[in-house]
Amino acid sequence: MIVSVGPASFVLPRRTLLVTLGLGAVLVAAMIAAVSLGTMTVPPGDVVRSLLTGGTDYDLVVRELRWPRVVLGAACGAAFGLGGALIQSVARNPLSSPDVIGVTQGAGLAATIALTSGMAYQLIAPAAMAGGLLAAVVVFAFGARTGFAANRFVLAGVAVAFALRAGIEVVMSSAETIDALRAQIWLIGSLNGRGYEEAGALGLVLLLALPLLLWAARALRTSALDDDTARALGARPAARRVAVGALGVVLAAAATAQVGAVDFVALVAPQVARRLSRAERPPLAASALAGAALVVAADLAARLLLAPTQLPVGVLTAGIGGPYLVYLLIRRRR
Amino acid sequence: MKPASAPSTGVAETSPARREAALRLAGQDLVVGYDDRTVIDGLSVDIPSGQLTVIIGPNACGKSTLLRTLGRLLKPRGGSVLLDGELLHELPPRRVAQRLGVLPQSPLVPEGVTVADLVARGRQPHQRWWQQWSPADQEAVQAALADADITELADRPVEALSGGQRQRVWIAMALAQQTEALLLDEPTTFLDVAHQVEVLRLMRRLQQGGRTVVAVLHELNQAARYADHVIAMKHGRIVASGPPADVITAPLITEVFALACTVIPCPLTATPLVIPNP
Repeated sequence: MIVSVGPASFVLPRRTLLVTLGLGAVLVAAMIAAVSLGTMTVPPGDVVRSLLTGGTDYDLVVRELRWPRVVLGAACGAAFGLGGALIQSVARNPLSSPDVIGVTQGAGLAATIALTSGMAYQLIAPAAMAGGLLAAVVVFAFGARTGFAANRFVLAGVAVAFALRAGIEVVMSSAETIDALRAQIWLIGSLNGRGYEEAGALGLVLLLALPLLLWAARALRTSALDDDTARALGARPAARRVAVGALGVVLAAAATAQVGAVDFVALVAPQVARRLSRAERPPLAASALAGAALVVAADLAARLLLAPTQLPVGVLTAGIGGPYLVYLLIRRRR
Repeated sequence: MKPASAPSTGVAETSPARREAALRLAGQDLVVGYDDRTVIDGLSVDIPSGQLTVIIGPNACGKSTLLRTLGRLLKPRGGSVLLDGELLHELPPRRVAQRLGVLPQSPLVPEGVTVADLVARGRQPHQRWWQQWSPADQEAVQAALADADITELADRPVEALSGGQRQRVWIAMALAQQTEALLLDEPTTFLDVAHQVEVLRLMRRLQQGGRTVVAVLHELNQAARYADHVIAMKHGRIVASGPPADVITAPLITEVFALACTVIPCPLTATPLVIPNP
């Protein structure tokens, strides 16, 4: 299926298109449900009316309290999904997602240090971002020597992730209890008390990434081939892998910086998108939508399960995403 | 594939070649190696434009290495490859890929890709990130599928095909690239004899359409019959090059392959026929 806009044209396999539309519908439904349900239930019709025109009795709950959080959930889920899809495609390995290879842990260590050393609140997100990028540079340096495709890349990433996690423990145990608690909450990842400000920062990153994503989607068509064939088609495979991988790391690190270490979304969302569309690698748009829907749904569950206590969303992304991936794997086996 | 005597219209239409503007490919004083091993040391070669050149030689003589260097897959340590007088390894890769197609030996098949999708990737050098599909792409892919005789396999996953079918898919991908020159590394490996002949005939048709074709082949009698120009290599050096009748002779084959043999004219085509001595 060819999508053309003026002189521009893009190829989208029919099944991928259907899956993308389907996941988009799931996302919209999840977003409406997330605004609708809670200690005070808002009828879905009123949710939509309040969002579009305003002037309902529920405007405060819908527009001020719940919608900003839902938007942030969708934005960070999309960024995690895209980051995971890009890095997994580059390494040709579903395990090489940012939360496994150390990006999340790097961001976590930096944030822990920032939170326990009394750094200004505004500096925590930039510090986390820098930590995630730094960890990625180390892992990439290992991977570059073996061409990324090798399992050594993932192994190096896992090793770095463990080392960073150990670092987090050290910092936490030597910190004041109250600081350690704040760091602990950040590490699990939560949308509590967050909203438009964080979503805006992420939205900007996603917007800037958009043209690069269009380029990456095409670049990955040749990167999926072996290096000789890719080179014969005029690509620079090594440079391309670094560029696409870096884009994925930036997206994942940006999301982690804003909402904390929401585990598993970057690993599972691309695989769900890939298995649904039966593609050779995770389709980018579908991965973004799957990630967004997963975080929004997980956050809704996190709010409702032990209401009025609000669980951190990170606790539930793994709880919902994991079994679904296992289900897809089993169903495909038959 | 159609018989050699009836050149496919698909090839004629899709061939960008104009005989007078055929590209010139040459290597000068090439030194090429992997890690600490030097495979080729001081080799110069001229690829005749618009002809079908076949490189022969025993295993590990450096023939694939030479082909990969000429095709920009390997960077030489010394010397240079010239494409129309310009340094190949300093040209933008995309521009090279628009003119020079390379089919590496046994490429990796990506999981879950259909034949049409894989062949379409040959269009990559002609596309931009904002312009990922055009009617010209469509035509080139259709023509390439037809030329490789795999049109009916278009929607099958590549990993489900036989070795011979896969090889034709890769050739079709290189054809979709629509380059003036095509370098093929052992394109007949994994094929039964009938499919080998089909690939050789296809190479011949491509040459007749105006392209420069270079292939590494193992089968001497096929080289003798289909090549315009033969390059014989041993220990990383060119031992002889020229028309098949001049290169494929009993003394030379005996020297290059260390195989005592007799060469007689083929009863059908009068090209050299190598028969190992009993």
